[in-house]
Amino acid sequence: MVAGLVTGESITNPDEKFASAGIQLVQARADRIDVQARMVYLADGRQITYDKLLLGSGANPLIPPLAGRDLRGVFALRTLTDAEEIRDHLATANPRRLVFIGAGFISLELAMLLASRQPDGREYTVIELLSHPLPLMLDPEFGKRVHDHLQAQGLTMRMGETVTRIVGRDGKVAGVELASGEQLPADVVFLNVGARANTQLAEASGLRTSRFGIKVNSFLETSDPDVLAAGDCVEKQHFITRKPVPGQLRGPAVIQGRLAAKRLAGYAIEFPGVLNNCVVRLFDRYVASTGLTEEQARQEALETVSATVDSRSKHGMIPGVKPWSIKLVFDRTTGKLLGGQIISEDIAPVKEIDAVNALILGGKTLYDLTVLMCAGTPDCSPEPSLEPISIAAEQALQKLRE
Amino acid sequence: MLKGEQLVIIGCGGVGAPAAMLARQLMPEVEIVVVREEREFIVR
Repeated sequence: MVAGLVTGESITNPDEKFASAGIQLVQARADRIDVQARMVYLADGRQITYDKLLLGSGANPLIPPLAGRDLRGVFALRTLTDAEEIRDHLATANPRRLVFIGAGFISLELAMLLASRQPDGREYTVIELLSHPLPLMLDPEFGKRVHDHLQAQGLTMRMGETVTRIVGRDGKVAGVELASGEQLPADVVFLNVGARANTQLAEASGLRTSRFGIKVNSFLETSDPDVLAAGDCVEKQHFITRKPVPGQLRGPAVIQGRLAAKRLAGYAIEFPGVLNNCVVRLFDRYVASTGLTEEQARQEALETVSATVDSRSKHGMIPGVKPWSIKLVFDRTTGKLLGGQIISEDIAPVKEIDAVNALILGGKTLYDLTVLMCAGTPDCSPEPSLEPISIAAEQALQKLRE
Repeated sequence: MLKGEQLVIIGCGGVGAPAAMLARQLMPEVEIVVVREEREFIVR
């Protein structure tokens, strides 16, 4: 929408859909919850009683305490309103030098879309504290591939750099200053370095929270039996490490919302935990990951064995073959699959990340994966010798003997 | 939830909309109210 590809209406659900299903809509800010009286107090003075309450209060952009963050021309992207403000600002101010702080997927998608759609002559610079783009998704060698691709597309990638302040002039952004003292001129700055669970309402209501969000059990029930919570506002549990983690991804939010409805209807289905599986398109590359990267696994004191397979989108004899690569990470001790990363030039292979995801959830090992049989035809599968998941598992198996 | 009880959902993002629609399918005799601050539901 920021890039002018879609309208706001096209990414929202119409109210009529809910009204026709007999769902009452109330547009107002919820100011307070009295969990004893089971009452929601709205900012406009209205009160609504409930028998069960589901909190989906979402997350807010994480804005680091940088001097200059309130200058005109500094934006964070989270909501439809944010997108509209950015779109309008780009149209009226016509900035030439665009700086993106953070190299996570929201920041990179935004940079990519603007660079793809806007006229030449604009400069796009991405600044990231860590050593490579998409640092929570990818290990360094895959991150380097993304880095080089983005550079080749005209983005200036400044990795391993710390922004110390945003510089202004006459109330408007004029640049950013790095820890080295270097100043980069900027006409607009996008500050997308993460999000933080919105727990204000829950905290004020006396519900248990942590630094990652509202505390819930595996049925999404909060510390009050009549209040459930789901999505970006709740603390998650990582499926592999079983540790509490934040989580602000679309997939878990939708699944948790639907799971909460099932719980209220009497089902006893537990949320399994998150693997943070996600996918992003960056120009003509599709990038996906799930589970732990090798670096993250080592930080968890897991000894790893990994393998990378460079494969093809279809059999080599078929026209239009495009390359793609997959990296699988295993626990060296147990053989269990811990994570996967994919970079593909074709759209279809990137969704193999869902297979990797399912295999992790199923507790599969590299031994299991060596006999994974995939559906195959030359039009959409590589040669059997390049079938990526089983071949990666075989390579990892061989490394265990080295 | 029982017939005639009221479910209140706060939020209109990834949680609110799918939760409301599925709750309606699974519990046709429950009252459902969605409270949202934003002017529209968000799909993504």
